Amino acid sequence: MAASETSITGNTPGQAEPVGAKRRPAAGPWVTAFRKLVRDKAAMVALLVFILIVVGCCLAPYYANSIAHTLPFSSNLDGKIVIDGEERAVIEESTEGLGLGTTPIGPTWKLGGYFLGADDQGRDVFARMLYGGLNSLWIASASTVLCLVLSGALGVIAGFFGGLIDGILSRLMDVVWAFPIFLLAISLSIVLINTSITLGPIVIRSGSLWLPIFIIGIVYVPYIARPIRGQVLSLKNSEFVLAAIGLGVPSHRILWKDILPNVATTLIVFVPLMMALNMVTESALSFLSIGVQPPDASWGTIIQDGQNLLYSRPMVALAPGIAIAITVLTLNVFGDGVRDALDPRSKLRIGGD
Amino acid sequence: MLNTLIRRLIQMIFVMFGISVIVFLIFFWTPGSDPAARIAGRNASPEVLAAVRHDFGFDRPLYVQYGLMMKKLLITFDLTSFQNRGQKVIPQLVDATPVTLSLVIGGAILWVIGGIVVGLAAAVTKGSVIDRGLMILGLIGISMPVFWLGSVLNLITQSRFHDTWMFSWVPALGYKPLLESPWEWFKTMLIPWISLAVLYIGLYGRVLRASLIEAGEEDYIRTARSKGLTETRVMLRHALRTSLITFVTLFGLDFGALVGGGALLTEVVFGLQGVGKLTYDSLKSLDLPVILASVIYASFFVVGANFVVDMAYAILDPRVRGR
Amino acid sequence: MKKSPIGKMRGLGISAGALCISAALFATPAAQAQDHRGGTMRLVAVGAGGTIDPQINYTLQYWQLYQGIYDGLLNFKKGVGEDGFKIVPDIAEDMPQAADDGKTYVFKIRKGIKFSNGQELTTKDVVASFQRIFKVSSPTAGGFYNGIVGADKCLKEPATCTLEGGVVADEAANTVTFHLVAPDSEFFDKIAVPHAVILPADSPAKDVGTDAMPGTGAYMVESYDPNKQLKIVRNPHFKEWSKDAQPDGYPDVVVMDFGLTDEAEVTAVANGQADWAFDQPPADRLAEIGTKYKDQVHVTPLFAMWYAPMNTNIAPFNNEKARQAVNYAIDRNAMVKLFGGKVLAQPVCQILPPKFPGHEPYCPYTKNPGEGKYNGPDMAMAKKLMEESGQIGQPVTVISEDSAVSKSVGTYLQSVLNDLGFKAELKPISSNIQFTYIQNTNNKVQISISQWYQDYPEASDFLNILFGCDNFHPGSDSSVNIAGFCDKAIDAKMKEAMATAVTDKDKANKMWAEIDKATTDKAAAATLFTPKHVDFVSKRLGNFQFNPQYYFMVYQAWVQ
Repeated sequence: MAASETSITGNTPGQAEPVGAKRRPAAGPWVTAFRKLVRDKAAMVALLVFILIVVGCCLAPYYANSIAHTLPFSSNLDGKIVIDGEERAVIEESTEGLGLGTTPIGPTWKLGGYFLGADDQGRDVFARMLYGGLNSLWIASASTVLCLVLSGALGVIAGFFGGLIDGILSRLMDVVWAFPIFLLAISLSIVLINTSITLGPIVIRSGSLWLPIFIIGIVYVPYIARPIRGQVLSLKNSEFVLAAIGLGVPSHRILWKDILPNVATTLIVFVPLMMALNMVTESALSFLSIGVQPPDASWGTIIQDGQNLLYSRPMVALAPGIAIAITVLTLNVFGDGVRDALDPRSKLRIGGD
Repeated sequence: MLNTLIRRLIQMIFVMFGISVIVFLIFFWTPGSDPAARIAGRNASPEVLAAVRHDFGFDRPLYVQYGLMMKKLLITFDLTSFQNRGQKVIPQLVDATPVTLSLVIGGAILWVIGGIVVGLAAAVTKGSVIDRGLMILGLIGISMPVFWLGSVLNLITQSRFHDTWMFSWVPALGYKPLLESPWEWFKTMLIPWISLAVLYIGLYGRVLRASLIEAGEEDYIRTARSKGLTETRVMLRHALRTSLITFVTLFGLDFGALVGGGALLTEVVFGLQGVGKLTYDSLKSLDLPVILASVIYASFFVVGANFVVDMAYAILDPRVRGR
Repeated sequence: MKKSPIGKMRGLGISAGALCISAALFATPAAQAQDHRGGTMRLVAVGAGGTIDPQINYTLQYWQLYQGIYDGLLNFKKGVGEDGFKIVPDIAEDMPQAADDGKTYVFKIRKGIKFSNGQELTTKDVVASFQRIFKVSSPTAGGFYNGIVGADKCLKEPATCTLEGGVVADEAANTVTFHLVAPDSEFFDKIAVPHAVILPADSPAKDVGTDAMPGTGAYMVESYDPNKQLKIVRNPHFKEWSKDAQPDGYPDVVVMDFGLTDEAEVTAVANGQADWAFDQPPADRLAEIGTKYKDQVHVTPLFAMWYAPMNTNIAPFNNEKARQAVNYAIDRNAMVKLFGGKVLAQPVCQILPPKFPGHEPYCPYTKNPGEGKYNGPDMAMAKKLMEESGQIGQPVTVISEDSAVSKSVGTYLQSVLNDLGFKAELKPISSNIQFTYIQNTNNKVQISISQWYQDYPEASDFLNILFGCDNFHPGSDSSVNIAGFCDKAIDAKMKEAMATAVTDKDKANKMWAEIDKATTDKAAAATLFTPKHVDFVSKRLGNFQFNPQYYFMVYQAWVQ
């Protein structure tokens, strides 16, 4: 027999297995999942695109200084640029008819400056998009993580333990969902003009990005916690959980091994959805001066800038929306890949460890 | 059943009361919120300012002001706005309700049907081009801020292409009561319905697809499949019911919030004077009486909708015996 | 009917009919008026203007509509251009002669004027109306009408206001006599504004809110729902007594619908769904209406300014050099671009707007100053002053409104302040509350963006109201001297000028010109530009006329 021949168990044939001896375990579930993910072409492409977006945004200073030669944060109302040998004003005054109004320059589609055109202050929209991307991604990711962790925990606890705990948590979530968040945002923005809020070791000043992160993260907790709770209520009465309870398995083990993995897939589905919702909510909050402060940019603030230019320069409002859509798309495809790779259902059928 | 109802009602009252107190406190915590000078008028002299302040009771302690305001709102029903003096708050809300109901119910019908169709189609054809296409469309729908979408729809239907055959039927912005002219009402509301529904079709479509696929791997579904049923029948007959749990939960949350005035940006953009627009105007002018009333109104619907959803769980999934 | 070019021929007082050749040949003016009489004019506004009580409401939105609904003893003439600033007798038969060194005025009341509820107007109503100004705590009770004898008692105890000795009626002679504490050169202006209109004596002594009171004008309010619509119809008891003061109007019904956004308003007028939008068109529609709808657009200069008051009592702008540096650094031409271009605004460096009484061109804050022209910013001078002031690196917060124009002006100002060496932040606040917020010194506002539109054409309305010591009330939401500026020497000159105006208006205006220069030099504010008003009207609207006091004369235009 060839020495290289080995069976699945790692033993060479002919070597009798002693009865009761332990078998070398197969590759663990996480490693399997990882390998499966890496082989998923769509997911990998999506991940690559996402990384490209992030890298592009990190290179924003390089782009603004060396390629576009524009200052994305100072007003440039009298600026002029040269396109195709012709000098044009960045903010052009209307000369036809009554000569009313000024219009910022539209997309030049040239990387040498004002690729997507200018906003109403004469600033380079594309450069601002690159700078703003990091802000948007940071706020959206942090608030998404916060939201999912909180809602996962609350939803599972409320659903699993039921009774008084469920009652209190559910009513609490009702309060959060019914709460007039815009009133709080308006109030906060005015209060924070002159003072800062201290919560223990954390000091929140008006430009702090933690403010929108916390506000958005908490506002959407009921939106995810309640479906999770519903799912847990359903799971609580499924055969394998009832069996586990019957067998005397302690609650925390049931939660960790049986309930959470199922809930995890729901959470994964919500990741790209929440990222999109959060970036859009960040836009609304930035209108109320919570979050990114002028002249800094985020995709949300650029959308707001674009609202005032909708009829003359629609690209300013369109571009950030497209950026959000692409980012969310990549996250969704990648998330589907992760979900498929993890596939807790199969783990469950094996019976868990 | 009755016990649960009473218990939930008491809890609802606590929630509404709690929110009203928080709103009241936030208002007075905000610098610049004192309405006396805005009520008195531009450049009012100090004597005039003091007179107005006394008239409205702003010189009394907070808890007294809160008590008076709640009494006027809930007992004597004559609470008046700060911004539009003399205008009673409750009739304003009552007038605004049909507008919001028109918008939200119509939008809800659209997005429920749309969401189910999209979710089903995507789940049944999992992995195919249709599935991918629907996913992309759905995510684009979620990525469009509703205020942006509304403005763009107006730009297209009212301004740029208003004179073309495609959009010349679009009437002027502003609500037309259903009872006055049902056809005008329908034409007015159609574009706002679409604007509102786009976001939710995308969201609910994704969520339903995921739930259906999850459920598709349950044992009883495998049983159905092994019996030879087509994928569509499997999904429709067996998986849909249980996967609707998440769908219905989200619907309760969204519908409750929207009816309570959550569609404010849509109402503003389309000139519909609903509860949302009322809330928006009151927030912009820090009109405390209207803010208080609209917050209590909103929390009633939110808590109520969640209660109905909890009851619905029992019907949807026999395994669930929720509280 | 062909769209008249009246909009561009403002100030000539030529009626549209006279320009239309065929009409001149075939019809008499009276018959023409008959042709256009009738129809419903549809106005649109983003929101309602507040209370419908004319003695409390202080918004241009309703002051414009009150013109056809209420009358005062005197009124501004319904004319265009300079003519529109003339004060003419309305309910009074003639302009009263000043007696007793200008402390006594006797008004003879016209007979036969009826309120819209059929009641005839008597001297009792006149006296009651002036008492009511105090009873309802009108915002100008203390500012405009405190010069009447007995007013001080009324301010202290408004509920029992009698104005005894101040406003005296003689029923037999049908006159009302006013006794002032001191001569007041602006008395007629104050009597001509809507806060002094004559209402029935039995009007409630409190803010009527949405329940309009009867008036004597050609029109009356039929209904008012601040969330939906204000409906104005003809006054059935009206008979024209003075074409200058209260002319009959063309439309039968005027409605103002609330609730559209400003973009939607422009679209509605463009589509012919509305006749006129109250709010200014947003910046991204200006080019569109200036080209595609240019025959429906009217641009009129205003006596107004956009300015940035700087708090002269706290850092960093308690330092005069820092304030002057800001004035030198701001590029007012760039600001004009933000507002919509050269056609819509004019850069200004001084307080009084161009062509205003007392205005003499003066602009020190520019390159090569001379003859009052603006030649662009002088950054070198600005930087030099900043160095001398020692305020480099100071944090500054600019408070603007959250409207698009105010925010963009604020963003630009923030950029300029950063270039100067400050650490500048911008905070937009809701338009409804920003104005009171920036007035209250408790909010420690360092610099803000605000506008000021004239109440009536007197220099004191700009200089004394905005920069006089008397109008600075620390800790109050109502302190319209936002800069907190109080210079004893300049203040004394202001009081002198106001006293001189009683007898010699021209001499007073020369004094105001000097005060204007002195105040501008102190740089308590940075005046930015003087805006023009854009009126976008529907195709069918004719006879657009712009009165400088009350703007578009709604009832004098026709829709058919």
